[in-house]
Amino acid sequence: MASEDDEFTMLFQDFYPSLCRFLECLLGGRAPLAQDLAQESFLQLHRTAWGTFPAGEARFWLYRVARNLAINEFRKSNTRYRLFDRVVEAMRPAARNPEQEYETREREQLVLEMLQTLPEDQRTALLLREQEQLSYREISEVMNVSESKVKVDIFRARASLRERWRKGTDHRSQITKHKDRSAKIKSYEL
Amino acid sequence: MSCNFTEKVSLLIDGELAPAEAREVEGHLLNCVECELMRADFLSLRSQIAGFATATQPVVQNRALKKILSGGRRAPARGLQWAWGTPAVAFAVLLIVAAITGFLIYKNSNKQESIAKITVPTPTPTATPEPPKPEEPKETETPKRTPSAPAKKPITREPKPGEQFATLTLPEPPAIPESTIPERVKSADSETLTAMHFERSETLLRAFRNVRLNEPTTAEEVAYERKRAQQLVYQNMILRREADAAGDVQTASLLESLEPILLDIANLPDKPKAAAVRVIRERVERKNIVALLQVNSTALARALD
Repeated sequence: MASEDDEFTMLFQDFYPSLCRFLECLLGGRAPLAQDLAQESFLQLHRTAWGTFPAGEARFWLYRVARNLAINEFRKSNTRYRLFDRVVEAMRPAARNPEQEYETREREQLVLEMLQTLPEDQRTALLLREQEQLSYREISEVMNVSESKVKVDIFRARASLRERWRKGTDHRSQITKHKDRSAKIKSYEL
Repeated sequence: MSCNFTEKVSLLIDGELAPAEAREVEGHLLNCVECELMRADFLSLRSQIAGFATATQPVVQNRALKKILSGGRRAPARGLQWAWGTPAVAFAVLLIVAAITGFLIYKNSNKQESIAKITVPTPTPTATPEPPKPEEPKETETPKRTPSAPAKKPITREPKPGEQFATLTLPEPPAIPESTIPERVKSADSETLTAMHFERSETLLRAFRNVRLNEPTTAEEVAYERKRAQQLVYQNMILRREADAAGDVQTASLLESLEPILLDIANLPDKPKAAAVRVIRERVERKNIVALLQVNSTALARALD
């Protein structure tokens, strides 16, 4: 029993952070909810399925359950979570290097926003590929779809994100140029 | 994206191409600017997505692990807290009034039937049989059996510490009249059934809470509530298993909390002692189960709308 728990603890420590990250990206950055759902997935694994399949497959099982829980959340009204997450966001400790932190946060926010524009299956497939580095076959097992669908989904997701990313960066560079120009004009006026 | 190789670029960076094909695509990339740009963009996107930092803190992680290993449950989801506004309260009040009206109509229509005799539907094969525990109070109603009939084991649920009356004795299957069989899952989906089940259970628990003790009508009222609890307990088991299988932990957890209470009510004797009824009522109050049922049935109904 103790060794089983040890094994479970190791699995938890290995995969809990990555499961949280996966869920956070899938849910559009709702970190507390992502942590709740990750905990829920592990709880279900511990209570119902732990020991019923090889430990190597537990990871895929976890991602499958986590995805289902996230889909359940999409169906629910999400207003209360938005409000809650904003409060949590406001209570986060201040960054050590505010400028750098701001840039990182802005970039992450942009990635999250772009990911949210994708259909759920494309988003899941891409996240499992890019973040979790699963193969197409493994992704097809997690999502319970064919490998060729995974192939198409990932390509479409990338193509779509590429287009948006280009638009987004163009737009941001235009804003930066405009700001620079305004600053120059102000300095001349002074 | 006029080039025929665009989709293969995606496969190439994922290492999903056969070696010969990969060499072919790499050769193509040397000559095609469009595909080369695409590969660069895809790789840049990869670094952006893979570089996303998670906000998980070790304290949170350790706390979660402790909870899981101790077999504890997640704190009620935020959705279960009292975070709804006046319109939701008004809706809930309307729902309660409708439920009470329905209950009264149902009660009037069933007045002709003998309430004292209670039958229970055939148990589902998934119920876990367990021999009755000797230390349990003998408050279970035992139906008379014919000598030729084989002895029936009671259906039990694993009692938790502090729980009582976990045994439910079953009468003979042939004695079940059609009218007492509870609604089965046929056309509606499980979410709808769960919502309906929550509503019925809520009504039952409210009615049970209002049963007047030490009155001439007490036995009749308790018998009626007991009959309804017996009908609901099987549905509860089925729905709980469905929720477990579907990974809906919130619903499964609520159904699991509800089950012992339904069992306790279903196992009350014909003339229950006031103390036994009071114990069940206290448990209902302590678990705040009526409020949870109300919130969940409303939330489910809204989701179904």
